[in-house]
Formats: sequence, C-alpha cells, structure tokens
Amino acid sequence: MADQGKIVQPPKRLKDKVRRTGGPTPESAILRALNAAEDLMDTYQGWAVDDLAKLWQTFQGTGPSAPAKERITKMFDMTHDIRGEGGSFGFPLVSVIADSLCKFLEPRQKLGTAELEVVKVHILAMRAVFRQDLKGSQPTLEREMQQLLALLRDRMPVR
Amino acid sequence: MSGYGFASLKVLVVDDSRPIRSLIKTFLSGFGVRELFEAPDADEAFKIVCDIDPDIVITDWRMPPTDGIDLVERIRNDEDTPNPYLPIIMLTGFTELHRVKQARDAGVTAFLAKPISAAALYKRFCTVIDDQRPFVRVGDFFGPDRRARRKGESFTGRERRHS
Repeated sequence: MADQGKIVQPPKRLKDKVRRTGGPTPESAILRALNAAEDLMDTYQGWAVDDLAKLWQTFQGTGPSAPAKERITKMFDMTHDIRGEGGSFGFPLVSVIADSLCKFLEPRQKLGTAELEVVKVHILAMRAVFRQDLKGSQPTLEREMQQLLALLRDRMPVR
Repeated sequence: MSGYGFASLKVLVVDDSRPIRSLIKTFLSGFGVRELFEAPDADEAFKIVCDIDPDIVITDWRMPPTDGIDLVERIRNDEDTPNPYLPIIMLTGFTELHRVKQARDAGVTAFLAKPISAAALYKRFCTVIDDQRPFVRVGDFFGPDRRARRKGESFTGRERRHS
C-alpha cells in the first residue's frame, strides 16, 4: 500500500512577525531598494573586472596537457557566478555570454586547441562589454550575440 | 502607507558570490528588513541557522564544494535544526529551470531566478510570507506540500460528476 504520509500545519511564525499594513507600499519599498543599491551597482564593475582576470588566469593554465576536467569545472564555477551577477547588476549582455560559456564547458571532459579558442572568444567578449560599458537591456544585441555564440558552440560538438 | 512591515524579520542570505550577497542584502534593507546575515556556503549557513534561528533563508543552488540542496535537506531534516519549517527561497540560474523539480523535492519553499531584480525579490518575499501550505512527511520527503495550488488558482476543466 502506498505511503499516505503525514500532514503537519507549521506554526504561523512569519504571519505573527510581519505587519500587514503601515509599512511602505510595494512601489516605494522597491524604489528604496533600488536607490540603496545604486552605489553597489557602480562597485560591481570593479569586482567583475577582477573576476574576469581570475577567469583569464585559469584559462591560461588550461593548455591541452593540463589536468583538464578540474580546470574546466573551475572555469565553469567562475563563469556561472558571472552569469548570475551580470544581469543582476545591469549587464544582461554579460549574462548572455557567460550562459553560452557555461553551456559550452559543462558537458566537456577536456579542451583541445579549437575548444580553447571558443573559450577565449567568450572571455574576450565579456571583457569587451565592460570596457565598452554596455549597460542595460539591449534586446537586439543580446539576441544576435546569443545566436552567434550558439553557432560557434555548434561547430564544436562534445567528443 | 499600506504595505508590509518587515522590520522584525531575520533573514539569512547564502551565496558564494559576494556581489550577489551584497545586492540581496541591500535590496532587503531597502524593503525595511533590519536583521540581515550572510554566509558563502552551506556549512557556514547551517551554523548560522542554528545560532540565530532566522525567519527566512535565501540560498543559491551551486556553491562548491557544497550546494543549496544540501542546506535545504539539513534545515528540513537535521536533528540540530531550530526550525524545520523555515521558509527557503532558492536562487536558480536562468537556464536551470529543469532543476526546479529536484529543489522542490528537497523541500524548497519558493524559487527566484537569476538575474535578480528588486521587484522580483519583493514579490517572492511576499509570496513566502503569505504561503499557508501545510508540510508533508512522506517517505524521505519533508517539506511544503508539493501538490498545493496557488492562491486563486482553481480547476477549470469539466467536473467528473457532471459526466
């Protein structure tokens, strides 16, 4: 017979702690949050440039003879963070490029010379976005970049 | 003024990315949350959970060498946990929606997709506060009822009794 399980009603702790009225309206709470984050948005670009430098350093240690999977995983983890951060800090184009690099790296066990070139193109593209200060939503450019990088990835099937 | 007052909430933010931790904390502070804590990985996060007994946890998924799923499972099932019903918001990369089922099966309360915006975080925060789902213990699973319908969502198909 299937396990019917047990249903438990959790204590209403949050309901007791959160006032339903008297706080700022959702619009003003969100506006306050955005204003508070303004300085952080400016600081991010410095952090991102440092992160990209670390990614580049790891990439440079990833020759065809290097212990491949370990470095690929390291590069994936770094790129995964950049993917989440880019769009959150006003650089959606960086997230698009980092997403493509994550998709390229995740299934691979090793990187040959041609694959390393693909990785290099992605890192240089992210670096260019910050250098050109390409902030904000740019749907056409994001779509074109997505398509271009997908074509590049498709030329390098996982072996 | 007619919105929620979050001043008495304690929130823990867990992410291996320092910029993301800072951004979420700054947004929450703008919403009026005063007690904010942070951790870069699941191990440290669980220690903080045991120490401060937060009201909400917001955690990333991938935080090598541990991950957000480990943290959720410990909060729900570890004998040291101060509150197994703790609401947990899981952050996911925008291409990782296929993993939602795995996180839901670990006992996550809600999801928030990266990239993060202040509006999306506020909405998810309110959803978690209003969440009235019971918890279910069945087999290895302990967490919010996975079958529950969202508020206002009702069956629109033909009722069996009418056939």
